[in-house]
Amino acid sequence: MPSMKALDRDSALVKPAYRILSERFGEKVLRVTEYRGDLAITVAPTAWKEAARTLRDHPELDYKLFLDLCGVDYLNDESRPDRFEVALHLYSVTHKHHIRLKTAVPEKNPACDTLTEIYKGANWFEREAFDLYGIVFTGHPNLVRILTHDDFVGHPMRKDFATGKRFVNKKPKEWLLHVPEGSEHLVLNVGPSHPAMHGTFRVQVLLDGETIKDTAAEIGYLHRNFEKMAEERTYWQIIPYTDRLNYCSAFINGHGWALAVEKLLGVEAPARAEAIRVILSEFSRIMDHFICITTNVVDLGAITPFFVVFRAREEIYDLLDSVCGARLTVSYVRIGGVAQDVPDDFDARCRKTMVWISEVTEQMENLLTKNAIFANRFKDIGTFSKEDALSYGWVGPCLRGSGIAYDIRRDHPYSGYEQYDFDVPVGTVGDCYDRYLVRVEEIKQSLRIIDQALQKLPKGDFITHDRKVALPPKSEVYSNIESLMNHFKLVYDGILAAPGEVYGYVEGANGELGYYIVSDGKKHPARVKVRPPCYNIYQAYPEMIKGTMLADAVAIIGGLNVVAGELDR
Amino acid sequence: MGLLDIITGKYVDPTHFKSVHEGGNIITTTVDAVVNWGRKSSIWPFPFGTACCAIEFMAFTGSHYDVARFGSEVLRFSPRQADLLLVAGTVVDKMGPILKTIYDQMPEPKWVISMGVCASTGGFYRSYHTMQGIDEIIPVDVYVPGCPPTPESLLAALMKIQERIKNGEQAKRPQGEHRVGARAEGSNDRRERRLAWADDDAQRATTGLDPRGRIHFKLTEERDEPGSGSHHA
Repeated sequence: MPSMKALDRDSALVKPAYRILSERFGEKVLRVTEYRGDLAITVAPTAWKEAARTLRDHPELDYKLFLDLCGVDYLNDESRPDRFEVALHLYSVTHKHHIRLKTAVPEKNPACDTLTEIYKGANWFEREAFDLYGIVFTGHPNLVRILTHDDFVGHPMRKDFATGKRFVNKKPKEWLLHVPEGSEHLVLNVGPSHPAMHGTFRVQVLLDGETIKDTAAEIGYLHRNFEKMAEERTYWQIIPYTDRLNYCSAFINGHGWALAVEKLLGVEAPARAEAIRVILSEFSRIMDHFICITTNVVDLGAITPFFVVFRAREEIYDLLDSVCGARLTVSYVRIGGVAQDVPDDFDARCRKTMVWISEVTEQMENLLTKNAIFANRFKDIGTFSKEDALSYGWVGPCLRGSGIAYDIRRDHPYSGYEQYDFDVPVGTVGDCYDRYLVRVEEIKQSLRIIDQALQKLPKGDFITHDRKVALPPKSEVYSNIESLMNHFKLVYDGILAAPGEVYGYVEGANGELGYYIVSDGKKHPARVKVRPPCYNIYQAYPEMIKGTMLADAVAIIGGLNVVAGELDR
Repeated sequence: MGLLDIITGKYVDPTHFKSVHEGGNIITTTVDAVVNWGRKSSIWPFPFGTACCAIEFMAFTGSHYDVARFGSEVLRFSPRQADLLLVAGTVVDKMGPILKTIYDQMPEPKWVISMGVCASTGGFYRSYHTMQGIDEIIPVDVYVPGCPPTPESLLAALMKIQERIKNGEQAKRPQGEHRVGARAEGSNDRRERRLAWADDDAQRATTGLDPRGRIHFKLTEERDEPGSGSHHA
């Protein structure tokens, strides 16, 4: 791509990842770029697997946290000899660094080595890339469709697949597990429409008495094609779609999207907008944690905390309503700022809501934390080790519950998080109880952040003055020709980002929410890949519940906070 | 008169029935009216929550909006115990057969609310895997607009169902239920389906057949009496 100039060899050698890979693989390291601070290395397909292994195992690199793997279709890019590309995103918790590793995949024989031996999390991501792009991962243990149904024909994310082409699912998949004839074990199907499965997840378990012997999970029951829709929308028009990813904390998704696009464009939002974003993001995080904790205990039979907490959620809804006119799916963020300024009584409303939140949090804690029944159901249940958590790509409260203090707000501050003083709670055991405690503590820390942000809330603009990014105010549009032209151009042409690719990320309520955006200079992005935190988390669920009791499986899933909108996109 | 406002019966002065019920009140009404009154005040919903709307549905059942005021707080997660299917959220093609199965498993009489634009029309997801409205597969009695609708509008939808039950109206039947085996069965596009059915009817008409699903009853004189059939003679 023209503006993404490859780094020259000498300056690239400063980057340890490039130095080590080129020492080991020589000519097979094809290209290294650094665009908007993102380091990307392209390797030859023959070196793909070993390069990933080196990145993971070399002590100087230590990219142990698997983030994302996706396909990209460059059908219209004449400069590329190969049509597809596979992009892998990794993170090093010790060195606090993200990296992207890419390799080209030809159209004729779209094959690529599997990474399932290196990262456990790669399994479902490779299945997704196979489902959506038809890229075959050689050596993959179970390369079948994952998001679309079995009667689907073709690979929908390819650029030459018509967006609206649908296929009727005549025969839903009945058996996920293979049970030999005459087996005395019972197969139990849970979901997709089951109260404990929170909507659309499905898992099948093989039971020996009440102990789970084998499991298999199926997803895709809410695959409503965010990524395909995003390729046909301008950068603005995608904002409402992002709200519906993790709908429990809709604002954070929009926040992440705005930051990713701003990173791609190289613009910054004014300080006031950033502070407003932080405040609303933290309120959304609190809402999300409330939902997660209380619906989890509803599954275990305790419905009172749900009623207690929903009163405070209504207060947060009212606050969001007063700011932007919507309760749940807010669409309040804009590229380069927010849609409008907050109302005059914003501070007072926030303070009132904060009082509600601390009250109900206290009540919730009184009902749960030391409750013997609750503790017995949660303690030492669903324990997950650090190593597995990294290999699967866990993030957010679940990763922190397993004992790894990785919080993007602290490690890679954005939107001015560096100004605020807060703690990152970490679990010691990695069980359900730890994850619960981490969430409760995060609610309190979020209140601290909101308090500081309200005190420091700067005056000034709520959206950038860059007329290539943000619309001029209506009063100017109606009164001078230049603003009218700016308005017209921006509505008609959209935001035009220079060709390039970035990975923007924020700390979502359930972990690192990333957007991998590829721009080819047109008004629609060429590819948007969401890195959904719960995709990795839910992937580990079938393995977690193996050997536990059936009732524990219900206790575990609620605490993982898997949200279908984000899982299936 | 609270009870009398609800029950569409006739109030009779109890003094006329002193011998029957000393000092008590007597209300005469129809059995249907009483049954409908009971039904309308105890609708048990099956929450088929898949997406964002399910969160607003939770607010609808939560302490603030409190659906218990309408007698519908008993959420049933088994379709066999529910009489209102509340589809909250996007239904995709992969989920379609599951939704259909659940609808089929519900006992009569059953009602369907389609909550939000995704369930009603597919919303702004016009793409390869999203069902463009659940009425492709099941009948819908009340559509609730919004993305997601506020709990108030969901309450309004529930009250609309209550109104219909009170008036003794029937729920909608599955669209094209009698069209099993006809062309375009299971087709996604409603327009395509209707055209295909019309075409099917026209073709059957040319060979002297009635439209699919029309049932003819034999006239009484032609009916065979038990034991008097000619083949017994």
